[in-house]
Amino acid sequence: MSATLRLISFLRAALRLMRGSPWLNAVSVLTIAASLSLCGLFAMAFFNAHTLIDELGSSLTIQVYLEPDTPEERIGQIEARLREHEGVKRVRALSSEADRERNRKLLDPALLEGLDDEAIPGQPVLALELDSSLASRGDLEALVHWAGQIEAVEAVEDVAFGAERLRLLFAVLEIIRSVGVVLSAVLLASALFFVFTTVRLAVWGRRREIEILSLMGATPNFIRAPFLLEGALQGLLGAVVAIVAVGLLHLELEGLVRDVYLLQVQPSLLPPGMVLWLLVGGPCLGVLASGLSLGRAFKV
Amino acid sequence: MIQLYNVSKRYGAEGASVTALDDVNMRVREGEMVFLTGPSGAGKSTLIRLLLCVERVSSGQVLIGGRNVHALRDESIPYLRRNFGVVFQDFRLIETRDVFDNVAIGMEILGLPRKDIVRRVGQLLEAIGLQERAHASPRDLSGGEAQRVAIARALVNEPAILLCDEPTGNLDPQLSREIIQLVCEVNRRGTTVVVATHDAALIEEFGARTLTLKGGRLVQDRDRADRGGDMLAGGLDLSRLDDPMAEIE
Ligand SMILES: Nc1ncnc2c1ncn2[C@@H]1O[C@H](COP(=O)(O)OP(=O)(O)O)[C@@H](O)[C@H]1O
Ligand SMILES: [Mg+2]
Repeated sequence: MSATLRLISFLRAALRLMRGSPWLNAVSVLTIAASLSLCGLFAMAFFNAHTLIDELGSSLTIQVYLEPDTPEERIGQIEARLREHEGVKRVRALSSEADRERNRKLLDPALLEGLDDEAIPGQPVLALELDSSLASRGDLEALVHWAGQIEAVEAVEDVAFGAERLRLLFAVLEIIRSVGVVLSAVLLASALFFVFTTVRLAVWGRRREIEILSLMGATPNFIRAPFLLEGALQGLLGAVVAIVAVGLLHLELEGLVRDVYLLQVQPSLLPPGMVLWLLVGGPCLGVLASGLSLGRAFKV
Repeated sequence: MIQLYNVSKRYGAEGASVTALDDVNMRVREGEMVFLTGPSGAGKSTLIRLLLCVERVSSGQVLIGGRNVHALRDESIPYLRRNFGVVFQDFRLIETRDVFDNVAIGMEILGLPRKDIVRRVGQLLEAIGLQERAHASPRDLSGGEAQRVAIARALVNEPAILLCDEPTGNLDPQLSREIIQLVCEVNRRGTTVVVATHDAALIEEFGARTLTLKGGRLVQDRDRADRGGDMLAGGLDLSRLDDPMAEIE
């Protein structure tokens, strides 16, 4: 017989099951929705923070200020040494004049009025561009440590390292990660528990029906299928509710960013990939819980 | 069709066990109608459960169509059960399904197309005079109607054997008579029928072969209307018993 026919009859049976205990099913669907939306939101927060770090990381430089009268030859030596470090992508050498020019641009023209050129600070600088693939906070700490060592080198006056913002971001990212993982795990576990319980109760409520089906020659899989489908449908409904909820949140946030903060950024809480993940993950979650709940029941 | 050789069934652990059947030997031929009687606790229901493989024998052999059913693997048991229709004292209709869907269960289990189901179930409901009640809830049926629906459900796939365990236990004498008449009609069309009942008056009235159990022992086998028949497995479909995957296609 055709698989479609069978699926339709299982679906009818699963819907009958759901109609049998609407409240319990609603609770299951809502816990699945809550856990999926939170997992999704944490994933997006984590993802967005990562993107930000990548951007900041690529613009991250270390400025090594040298003493004003360091000879060219010595500068070349130091530059060669800095280049050896694997975290360093590029080294740019600036002469005293170039540095002064750069500083002049940074200062207010009104302030520069009638100022002697020599009064503007300028000294030889080695600007290090760092590799943007700073994977973790550990790498960043290693770089900070290394930068401290440069300072000990003779002829190096000062090392400026714009790592503070990055450090903060890493800290935020770590909080998101740990809170997100713990909270998501708790919510997923409770969603599993609710589906598990609804299916258990459905099986208990249907034990006479199950007995009859079994006596009439239904295979264990035939008996199990509607319960698994019930779990899958709960998961699917939960995913749809989660998508709608996160979607509404997304619209709200977009409006806020545009109208209140007047920013032109596009925060994305619900990329198409996430929708797909939720639509696949929800039913998987439901089937898993239902399967656990059925266990090895109906062994003829 | 059905043969029992030295069948004993004990419930419970060694030592503290209850003997429900004690060294029973019997055979039911194809197309026969048999009453299984005896006082409450005699072992009638146990015998029916052994035929359906709900329980396993403690010793002895049960043969259905010449096959030792207790040698079957678990996966084959559903396919064995498809050769039986079963009817119980308490009807056991599924209350979340309407009358039509209750009768249709057996065909759904076989995965038959909806249009075949509609036709066959329609025929059966007409035969039991309940076509008007097709979409009623089992809760709204009288006892007699419910048992007729249960019989229709048992017959939907034209099983080789109809097993009835106290089918009239919840019905008044007039309705009981009607139900047994219906079962006899089924038997006249070729189905082997086993009816367990302790209602002596009913047996007296219908006068088919009667096996009497007492304390788990077969004490009497009165055959008043021997129709003949043979011991072959004709009419049984045991071909798929060893192929549990066949049904999945
Ligand atoms: N599941 C069971 N566990 C233990 N004892 C049982 C069980 N089923 C039946 N019995 C016992 O087996 C005997 C036969 O029971 P049963 O087959 O139901 O008799 P009948 O149907 O003729 O009334 C009785 O003594 C009963 O108490
Ligand atoms: Mg009984």
